[in-house]
Amino acid sequence: MTSDPDRSNEDLLRHLLVPVATVEDARATARALAPYRLQRVTVLHVVEKGEGVPDKTPVEQSESIAREAFDAFREFIPEAEEKVAYRRDVVGAILRVAEEVDASAIGFRPRQNGRFLRFLTGDKSLRLVTSADRPVLAFPGESDE
Amino acid sequence: MSDEELAKDLGLFAALTIGVGTMIGAGIFVLPGQAAAAAGPAVALSFVVGGVISLFTALSASELGTAMPKAGGSYYYVNHALGPLFGSIAGWGNWMGLAFASAFYTLGFGEYLATFLPIPALVLGPINLSTYLPIQALTLGPIGLTSYQLGALLAGTAFIAVNYVGAKETGGVQIVIVTLLVGILTLFSVLGILQADISTIQPFFPAETGGVGAVLPATGLVFVSFLGFAKITTVAEELKNPGRNLPIAVVGSVVVVTIMYAVIMVVMMGVVNWRQLGPEFTTTPVLDVAEIAFGTLGFAAVGVALLTFAGLLATASSANASILASSRINFAMGRDKLVTAKLNAVHPTFATPYRSIAVTGGLILLFIVVGDVKTLAKAGSVLHLIVYGLLNVALIVMRKADPDEYRPEFEVPLYPIVPILGAVTSFGLIAFMRPIEIVLSLVFVAGGIVWYLAYARNEADKEGILSQYILSNPDEMPGAAVTAATHVQPDGGAYRVMVPLANPKHEKDLISLACAVARQRGGVVDAVHVVTVPDQTSLEHAADHLDEHDEDYRAVLDAARTDAETFGVDIETHTVVSHRSFEEIFDTARTHQADLVVMGWGESSHGSPGRAESAFDDLTMDLPCDFLVLKDRGFDPEDILVPTAGGPDSDLSAEVAKLLNAEFDSTITLLHVADTRAEGTAFLEEWAERHGLDDAERRVETGDVESVIERVADDYSMVILGATEQGLLSRLVRGSLVLDVVEDVDCSVLLAERARKRGLVERLLGDRK
Repeated sequence: MTSDPDRSNEDLLRHLLVPVATVEDARATARALAPYRLQRVTVLHVVEKGEGVPDKTPVEQSESIAREAFDAFREFIPEAEEKVAYRRDVVGAILRVAEEVDASAIGFRPRQNGRFLRFLTGDKSLRLVTSADRPVLAFPGESDE
Repeated sequence: MSDEELAKDLGLFAALTIGVGTMIGAGIFVLPGQAAAAAGPAVALSFVVGGVISLFTALSASELGTAMPKAGGSYYYVNHALGPLFGSIAGWGNWMGLAFASAFYTLGFGEYLATFLPIPALVLGPINLSTYLPIQALTLGPIGLTSYQLGALLAGTAFIAVNYVGAKETGGVQIVIVTLLVGILTLFSVLGILQADISTIQPFFPAETGGVGAVLPATGLVFVSFLGFAKITTVAEELKNPGRNLPIAVVGSVVVVTIMYAVIMVVMMGVVNWRQLGPEFTTTPVLDVAEIAFGTLGFAAVGVALLTFAGLLATASSANASILASSRINFAMGRDKLVTAKLNAVHPTFATPYRSIAVTGGLILLFIVVGDVKTLAKAGSVLHLIVYGLLNVALIVMRKADPDEYRPEFEVPLYPIVPILGAVTSFGLIAFMRPIEIVLSLVFVAGGIVWYLAYARNEADKEGILSQYILSNPDEMPGAAVTAATHVQPDGGAYRVMVPLANPKHEKDLISLACAVARQRGGVVDAVHVVTVPDQTSLEHAADHLDEHDEDYRAVLDAARTDAETFGVDIETHTVVSHRSFEEIFDTARTHQADLVVMGWGESSHGSPGRAESAFDDLTMDLPCDFLVLKDRGFDPEDILVPTAGGPDSDLSAEVAKLLNAEFDSTITLLHVADTRAEGTAFLEEWAERHGLDDAERRVETGDVESVIERVADDYSMVILGATEQGLLSRLVRGSLVLDVVEDVDCSVLLAERARKRGLVERLLGDRK
């Protein structure tokens, strides 16, 4: 963010990047997003890699989770483009992809985890919001279950 | 970079650290006492023998791993090559073997922990579990919760928790750990050599352990030290350039640790007489030797601290890697349906296979309580040896059957000598275990077989390369082999065609259609009578007073049974009471594990259509199996028209058309409506060929799709239409969508919709709403 470019003609929702995790998350996120008028949406799933150590889940399983999540998402937003990223740092991957696809904003549904879970897994929502170099929209989340 | 390449992030060094890091814990830090007592200084030879046996299998595992870089490793190869019967044995053996080995590593960790942490074994008192549990025979001796067992339980819980929440060290940390371990042990060896005295290791084959004869039984004991190289293959799909890196890492780690083990054993027994290293003198002989070796430099305490640190690090990393590897085995077994896929559900927040880890973790803690170091080590070894033996056999089968997709980048040298030696030595080493351990291993093999026959055979649908090979070359094979291969085939459950019946008028046509499919597929028909009752009526009440709601409910099923008999097809009948009949059909199809549902659609053929309810949203996403919906205007399969525009649902219409052709000798005509004739002809030719319908007549038309189908359909007795989009059927049946074409043609229309492939996650998590 060096100099402020002129954004007066830029539509905030020109191209929305939507990171999703599980099928349930994808479905709930898409449901929250579906009522709005959208221009271009890319749905992203980040496969969490070990980068030097084995992954938590086999690649085959991780990729099938990504596929399932995309399918669930596209039931609501069929025109969404898909993107899979492979990285240990999930938030970093989201930001990198946002830049790659030239997203105008990142939209996600914060998950309602307890304090302890947040401590264990790191508060990705907070990190995404604070470290993003473009607008971040949070969709109102009905709780996961 | 392609996605596939991005998914591969383990380099050669990372792969080597998995192998070396897993193996190096056991042999040196936990076992030297027992090993010394078993064979004296000659136990160094036992380690060499163990290394050579491992090397054969490592070579075979490398070839299989480069040909099939799949999660699950050894288990996967055995299941793939030898089929699910041996797959069950290998899967359970590998899983339990890893649980035993993890318990063993963790117990070793506890021993090191107890040397400097005063764990309060006294607070609980020496609990002698064998007074409460009938486990005396298995564990050979009374057991109490010693301080190191308590330490191990705590540590084990921590290791499991770390894997459960998916806290991962970085690759850098992993490399540092292994480098530190190798460094400390090298320093230990060098200082040890300076203190060693040749006379201390003489006689090399002490008479009281049985001389040379003790070497092989001791190999059986120390073999647990080598259970690490195959873990590299469980993550083969994550390796960069597996064709090169996998063999180097697998074979290299075996060579590295074998040399280290042998040297360190000789050094240790050169410093301290082997008799003083035995378990009756010390639980941590490495620390005793370290005290002397480092003591000459005046750093005795430093040496002990360094080696304690190394011992903790080594056993922890071994246990950690084994827990992870076991979850990979579970995943692969779940993929092949040898265990329920629920076991491999992924945690929504931690993104770990938490159930698998919890189950394995529970077993590990149990084994820590009931087992001692030696028993656990041998139990882990025996089970792995069975898997390794089968793995070598799997390689020979793959080479012999030589399927097209088997193209290993690395090939075992001196084939078939290496795999044969690998199989013979792996199975052979089991013979040097004690009878109780051999019996135990046979119990596990029997358990795997029972598991297959009782559970997995009905679930598994994957056939091994071996039985495919035998069954496809029956003339060259001995008769007994063909018979045996036929008998143990997985059946995946019989093909089930479910027919929901409501309106007696359509019973005959639906049952005829269902029986035709079932007979061609060698399956069974499951006739389900759906009784719809008003919402106000409780289902319990309705079930007790069925005749009030549906007077001739028996008549429909009786007629179905009679009709099925004329086809010679097995039929089961059920009655389902429901408020919402269409949802009930979905649920019933799911619980009855139907492969295909054949149902009618029309005026009240299944209750009241058009009741759009919000719960349906979920149904449309998830068709539980293939569906055929008959708009019944008389069942006459003589001249069948199959309009197609491609797609998965038209695949199903092609299959059904072929089945009807085989059953009723129907003539089939394919219809494609295209923009230009040439384009349509080309499409249809390709489509017909791909679906094995070359003999069918082909019609290419241009114009509006619906009106063309309506016009053409006049010449035929039945139209089979593939659903054009997901969820089409349920919307049609509910009345939220009207397809003019179905209404306007005069003949019967069969609508086909493919099961939406229920992905792993949905199957894992069940059908949560």
